[in-house]
Amino acid sequence: MKIRKSLLLLIAAIAIGALSYPPQWYPMPLRLQLTRWFGAADYRPLPLSMDPQVLDAETFCPEDASGWREAQVIDGVSVTRSAPCVADNPYAVAAFVKGTNNVSKDTLLRSGLTSDAVEKGRDLDGDGDPDEIHIRLEVAELNGGSSVTQRPVTSYDIAPGIQPGMWVFAPKLVGMAVENFETGIARDALRLPSPAIRVEQGDSITITLENSHYMPHTLHLHGADHGFVDSSGEGNDGVPITSEIPVMPGHARSYELQPRHAGTMFYHCHVQPHVHVLMGLQGLFVVEENRPNNWLQTMNVGAGLVRAPSAAVRESYDQEYDLHYLDLDKDLGERIRKYRDPRLITQSMHREYDITDADVDFFTLNGRSFPYTFRESLLVAAEGERLKLRVVNGGAKGISLHTHGHKFSVTDRDGVRLSPATIVPQDVVWIPTAQRVDLDLFLTNDGLHSYGRGIWLYHDHQNKGVTNDGIGPGGNISAIVYADYIDDSGWPKTQGVPWNQYFTKEYYRKEIPIWESYAPGLFSNTVSDPWWYPRLAGMALALAMLAALSIAALRRRSS
Amino acid sequence: MMRAPVGLLSAAILLLASSADIAAQDLMDHSAHSGHDSMRLDRDGSVMNENLDSLPRGCEALGRHLHFTIHAGVKYARDIPGSIFGMSQYEVRVEPCSRVTVTFVNEDEVRHQWMVHGLPKYLYPAGMFHIEASGGKSVTGTFIVPAEDRNYLIHCDLSQHMEKGMRGQLVVGRGSGDLWSVGGASAYFFRDDYMPRFALLFAVLLAVPGFLATWYLAKRESATGSASRREIFD
Repeated sequence: MKIRKSLLLLIAAIAIGALSYPPQWYPMPLRLQLTRWFGAADYRPLPLSMDPQVLDAETFCPEDASGWREAQVIDGVSVTRSAPCVADNPYAVAAFVKGTNNVSKDTLLRSGLTSDAVEKGRDLDGDGDPDEIHIRLEVAELNGGSSVTQRPVTSYDIAPGIQPGMWVFAPKLVGMAVENFETGIARDALRLPSPAIRVEQGDSITITLENSHYMPHTLHLHGADHGFVDSSGEGNDGVPITSEIPVMPGHARSYELQPRHAGTMFYHCHVQPHVHVLMGLQGLFVVEENRPNNWLQTMNVGAGLVRAPSAAVRESYDQEYDLHYLDLDKDLGERIRKYRDPRLITQSMHREYDITDADVDFFTLNGRSFPYTFRESLLVAAEGERLKLRVVNGGAKGISLHTHGHKFSVTDRDGVRLSPATIVPQDVVWIPTAQRVDLDLFLTNDGLHSYGRGIWLYHDHQNKGVTNDGIGPGGNISAIVYADYIDDSGWPKTQGVPWNQYFTKEYYRKEIPIWESYAPGLFSNTVSDPWWYPRLAGMALALAMLAALSIAALRRRSS
Repeated sequence: MMRAPVGLLSAAILLLASSADIAAQDLMDHSAHSGHDSMRLDRDGSVMNENLDSLPRGCEALGRHLHFTIHAGVKYARDIPGSIFGMSQYEVRVEPCSRVTVTFVNEDEVRHQWMVHGLPKYLYPAGMFHIEASGGKSVTGTFIVPAEDRNYLIHCDLSQHMEKGMRGQLVVGRGSGDLWSVGGASAYFFRDDYMPRFALLFAVLLAVPGFLATWYLAKRESATGSASRREIFD
């Protein structure tokens, strides 16, 4: 009686299992044999395409409510127009040119800078411009951790929803680090990259590093003419193992230089440089040629267009841009949020993080990745103009910079003029880590230097450089935009695909089918096949029955 | 014992405020660009929204005039493990409606701030009273506290200075419960683990004999009561 019941159950289990087992999982010989006997199975349509997700796209081009984009004269300083949507604060530009100790109180307040941020003193050579320059730099953390919130603190998005942890040098500012206490978004002058610094050849320069960060840092003037020791015999090279004890949190230290050679140089922190430089503690350091009445824009916040270019640059060029390329490792940046205790952060970043096993995920140009690059780092010019581009690659990997529609010439490498014979038009230049190149981009429609008006990309041609953590388009893509291809708000008149999905967090979280905006349905996500529910349930039931029957049989045998 | 639920509640409110857009909405017009309504600025630092005589609502008369000297600097963080920047005093206790003068002495070579948040916006734009002192400088400012018993956040808003130690509270009257993560006064809301390296192994090693002992005891019990049960099942 008992045996027969078990036998019936066994047959039932095998039948349920066999019926629910998906035919596409049958062994190939069995499938072929079944086909010979019964022919092909009936048509069963594949699952439908999923309806597109309704996305909330950000505004492509935020309105310039403060009128910062316009050309203006502030305290006698001419600040040129900045065509893209998001422009630098022109009051800060004016304060950097005249010196924060020389501008009007109103300009200083609007600049957000302290009165000693960039002090300009005497004209030592009597050529009509100040030669005593005192620059103060602070250190700020972006997208850091907190013991009271899980949001990134002093937040800064390089692209929609992308907030890697970063450290930057910053101009000395008055007031809060954030726009307001509730949003917690970093104010506009606290950003990646660290500001480009501009000084004149022969100037007597003091740079005071006020270390407002919770770790030790230094300032190393890479490529710029400076003494190993300063006038008092103290270390001046910023290198802990050879020159000086690093600047501890809450402390300050002054570096001195009087550069004899002009050119595009670099500066960075030299404490644990394999971590600190990669975190963003690096900036362009430009030594401009000496000219009379040469009032320089001592800092260029976020790099980009130089809105008060030097006399020497104005002699040969219509516009000057600072272009700072930097790649970021997500795994390194998130360590400042993973821990709160600075001892644990230090251990995690400097001992547990192993750069020899690391790879980079984000690729920024002037502190942003596509699509945000299109708000700030477009090169907007008219046909016939000549642009000077000062380019640095501060990233861990080399970049292969390529311009669409143009061939540029490399005029200087590492701040040294190349011999005229070697200056030839090219459309790709390899820039290894820490190298600077000065590019001459001539917008003359001659079929060589330029192919005419339009919107022409420029980007790292290594394929991962045009992604945000593997999702394209992203990375350091930006564009050369001719004046008639940009609208009044500063947005380029593109003719290609809609951009709404690129301005969503979801797209870069890899949740949106890449061609959904112009091929809806064709390459969408698919809905799932509900037949899996009965099939998987059947197989699970069959297995459960077999297991129960075996245990019962074993117990019977043992008793 | 009464403090814990109150603290938890205030933390929940703080989290709500930090994630909700409601709070952001009415603060949009108080962005950094427009917030210079009342600012005293010189080389030593600045004072924002100073208030010497405007009475907050609910105050019938000006209370006592209190004076605090608060020092800031890395040396004040030395006694608090895991902090880098510190203050000589994290808690400031005052009676409602009192006029409070703070002399903020910055003993570091970098900027520091002493900033109170959540004050009534009809008196203090963006709800803030703010003293900033350059490195090595001291700056004095005065404001008048509201009539209600409440705790207000005090902090330094340089990037990471609050997170690495400069977080305090202004307690008006009996207050409304401690804020979290106040230096030396209340616990960190989010705290790192500090788990000993072998704690997990230790726990597993303890669990194994625990399991074996329980099993043995349960078996002994079922052995004593097994006779009657077998009768039913067979």
